[in-house]
Amino acid sequence: MKKSKKLFQYDNVGILFVLPAFVYMLVFVGYPIVKNVILSFQDVTMRTLTAASKPFAGLENYTAIFHDAVFWKSLTNTVLFTIACLVVQFIIGFALAMFFSKSFKFSKPVRGLLMMPWMIPITVTALMFKFIFGTDVGILNYILQSLGLIKDNIEWLTSTNTAMFAIICANVWIGIPFNMILISTGLTTIPKELYESASIDGANKLQTFSRITVPLLRPTIESVLILGFIYTFKVFDLVYVMTSGGPVNSTHMLSTYSYKLSFEMFKYSKGSAVANVLLVILLIVGVFYLRATKEDD
Amino acid sequence: MKLRKMTSVIMAAAMAAGLLAGSVTVNAADTADITLWYYWENEGHQKALNEMIEKYNGSQADYKLTAKYVPFADFKKQLSIGASASELPDLVLLDSPDHASYASMGIFADVTGKFDVSDYYDGPVASCTIDDVLYGVPFGCNCLSLYYNQDMFDAAGITEVPQTWDELKEAAQKLTTDKVSGLAFCSLQNEEGTFNFAPWLWSTGASSYEINSEGGIKALTYVKSLVDDGVMSKECINWTQGDVMNQFISGNVAMMVNGPWQIPTMKAEAPDLNWNVTLIPKDKEFSSAIGGENYAVIAGGNEEGALNYLEYATQEEQVSFMMNSMGYISADKTIAENQFSGEEDAVYKTFVEQMEYAKARGPLAEWPEVSDAISLAFNEVMTDSATPEEAAETAQATIDSIVQ
Amino acid sequence: MDDEKKVTGRKNVVMCIFSVLILCVLLFPLYWIVVTSLKTEKEIFQMPPTFWPELLNTKSYAAQVASGDFNMFQSFANSFIISVGATLVAVVLAVPASYGIAKYHFPGRKVMMLGFLVTQMLPVAVLLTPMFIMFRNMHLYNTAGAAILADATIGIPFSVLILKNYFASIPKELEEAAYIDGCNRFTAFVRVLIPIAKPGVMVCGIFSFLYAWGDLAYGMTFIIDQQRRPITAGIFNFMGQYGTKWSYLTAFAVVTIIPVALIFIFMQKYIISGMTSGAVKG
Repeated sequence: MKKSKKLFQYDNVGILFVLPAFVYMLVFVGYPIVKNVILSFQDVTMRTLTAASKPFAGLENYTAIFHDAVFWKSLTNTVLFTIACLVVQFIIGFALAMFFSKSFKFSKPVRGLLMMPWMIPITVTALMFKFIFGTDVGILNYILQSLGLIKDNIEWLTSTNTAMFAIICANVWIGIPFNMILISTGLTTIPKELYESASIDGANKLQTFSRITVPLLRPTIESVLILGFIYTFKVFDLVYVMTSGGPVNSTHMLSTYSYKLSFEMFKYSKGSAVANVLLVILLIVGVFYLRATKEDD
Repeated sequence: MKLRKMTSVIMAAAMAAGLLAGSVTVNAADTADITLWYYWENEGHQKALNEMIEKYNGSQADYKLTAKYVPFADFKKQLSIGASASELPDLVLLDSPDHASYASMGIFADVTGKFDVSDYYDGPVASCTIDDVLYGVPFGCNCLSLYYNQDMFDAAGITEVPQTWDELKEAAQKLTTDKVSGLAFCSLQNEEGTFNFAPWLWSTGASSYEINSEGGIKALTYVKSLVDDGVMSKECINWTQGDVMNQFISGNVAMMVNGPWQIPTMKAEAPDLNWNVTLIPKDKEFSSAIGGENYAVIAGGNEEGALNYLEYATQEEQVSFMMNSMGYISADKTIAENQFSGEEDAVYKTFVEQMEYAKARGPLAEWPEVSDAISLAFNEVMTDSATPEEAAETAQATIDSIVQ
Repeated sequence: MDDEKKVTGRKNVVMCIFSVLILCVLLFPLYWIVVTSLKTEKEIFQMPPTFWPELLNTKSYAAQVASGDFNMFQSFANSFIISVGATLVAVVLAVPASYGIAKYHFPGRKVMMLGFLVTQMLPVAVLLTPMFIMFRNMHLYNTAGAAILADATIGIPFSVLILKNYFASIPKELEEAAYIDGCNRFTAFVRVLIPIAKPGVMVCGIFSFLYAWGDLAYGMTFIIDQQRRPITAGIFNFMGQYGTKWSYLTAFAVVTIIPVALIFIFMQKYIISGMTSGAVKG
């Protein structure tokens, strides 16, 4: 009928709004991704880099990396790193967003200042933390010793056991403002009247939080987590500058290992294959995310 | 109608992007522009290079050379990408152990017979040569030696400069206090680290390709013992050669292995520091690794212009100027021997002497992979992740799979 | 229309003190680089460390201004042009896209959403070569344009995912009222919806700007001339095999941050009030 026809037209207009951005991304990123997938099925090394036709390699690159211990190490490192960072930065970011949503005198200026870690180019942040986590001249060891928490200096970045921890700390430091500001923004979309009526109904703080804040914030929480996941999972600059994957590959991530294979060892196709494993994992997560966001379908 | 409006939005966005894009530079007059890529972030190096290039540009009217700085950490990537996009400069100044890899990409022009390299040190020439074809010309070289803090030596009562591994460790033990480590050398898990580990490995008589040998294991064990005995900080696995130098001039390290290119900086930054240089102590034989850069001409670029410049740049006057301002040793033996005549240059003499014992890494197209295996091995032993025997075995397996 | 409950009295004081404590802990690393940048290289490596420089050394800052062919001011201007450009491209494209995704249920909507996510998934390093070839063919190699177009690809998906929630939270009635007032879909979007979603748009703009500001890989790879490179490229002048000079490095970091921080502080009132005034209400 007329109504349904109108609705149909109404919905299709939406494509026009989305298309420009979509095409843009397709051209500038979609195409490189396709190229990268093709590269992973070829045998491109320094000897064939400039050749007109690149030899086809089938699944060889993938079999090779699946037999590579460093690849598996990088994969587990990446997963571990991502989960640890997401959990910690989300909890702290959420808590801070709730805290600063109260309107006390310093709430706005302090929250603004807390955004600072976000403004610093990651390369600089990485160098800064490398400096702080130094064994002999690092300030962290000095502070911990002064407080009597440790006796001997901890070899943060030179021990295979602690280097990952140091990198997680640095990443969480960057991630806290990110989580905080997005959740703060999300909190403003919750109508104040809801809280008022809840308090009239006699709900306590925990109930208000779990019945109103969390459900209404769900779209925001989903976006924050999924974006956080993607940005954390493909972490590169931070690790590259802080440890370059060391000591003894203990902090290699899929991205840094892929980079190393491609641009330090000239094994371009293997580097692409590693990157594609990363892509596939993220793709699966992406599909789950879209399934989970049933919202208004 | 809505479609038209959306199109105009897209158009506006596209135009905005286009406007900001700026314009492409256009060549002026009939002088041909030629470009050189290099990676020295050291300001003194950059100044010297630009000064020489200015002189070159003033000396003739056919070519105008511009040097472009590409950071070392990005150099390999930029060349790889440039090679696959055929967007390369006309000339590059690159790290000698990587030369073979790039040459195998087919991006370098054959310059055999165009330069007389008969008087050059063998190592640098070998690094530009593949199957008897010369793919470049050495720019200048350097090698590693042992620097020591004379005042700390005096304070610890060390009168004899260490010459063997045992003497070195003994001296390092005497020099180590709770604030000072006896010895330091860059042990990064990359080419820079391999460069600094090679002298120890080669001193035992083992080659780069035989790490799982008596010598290889001995070198790994020795380096491990330096760390275990506390005379060398484990932080070395995160220190670049520049960091090591900074630690040395700050008085946190009593002895260090480093190259001569640090000397100008050290003299400028710590003029009062009382230090000296000696050969790296030996196990069986004195040894050191050759470092330095080579020039290479890009195939299909302005080869004529590049060669024209290289003819100029390899003249003695130019070479001496560059070497002296950079703290490098000329790859040309005759120039090298007369290079450091002044009294204040005595320390450089040690490096020239050390050059006699220095060997090149590779040359091998797959050198980056071999180097990676070696650097992983000494990092494993230094961090206690593996015993010297285990590390040597793993590294050997990798090396064997590359070099038949 | 600030109808928020102001916290007053003792609770206000306690919360203020607590917030300052949080600030001190979280911003300590920043304090530390500022202090380090003012020390001499020798004092930096001293143990025990000094929490305030014994000898105030401003040489590192002077070195920033004149160092080789890398010009601090020029590179700052370059970064600014690149970041503003990338922000404009990202916002212009992402705002309508997020509105379309939030408010319309056209076929393929989910696929497009997934598309936006996927494009964000590969590490920058593997995108470099194909992008490089594209920009060279577009004659954008070695211009700010290449960095702008590349940096915008970081901001767009991010902005779409954030803004979509914003638009979704705007009640349909508001839009319908606009149609009754004679707006079509496009004018309703521009005149009614964008103003309501302004805080969200601001946040996306800021994030896009900061992503572009912090970018190193694109700027370094697609722009080869030192004079055209963004400020982040300067970091490589102090890194690498000739040494991490901490005094220079930290001074560089401070110089990189200060101007952005100033912009942020000046705009902060506007941003934060936009964010918290509860513009999007039922």
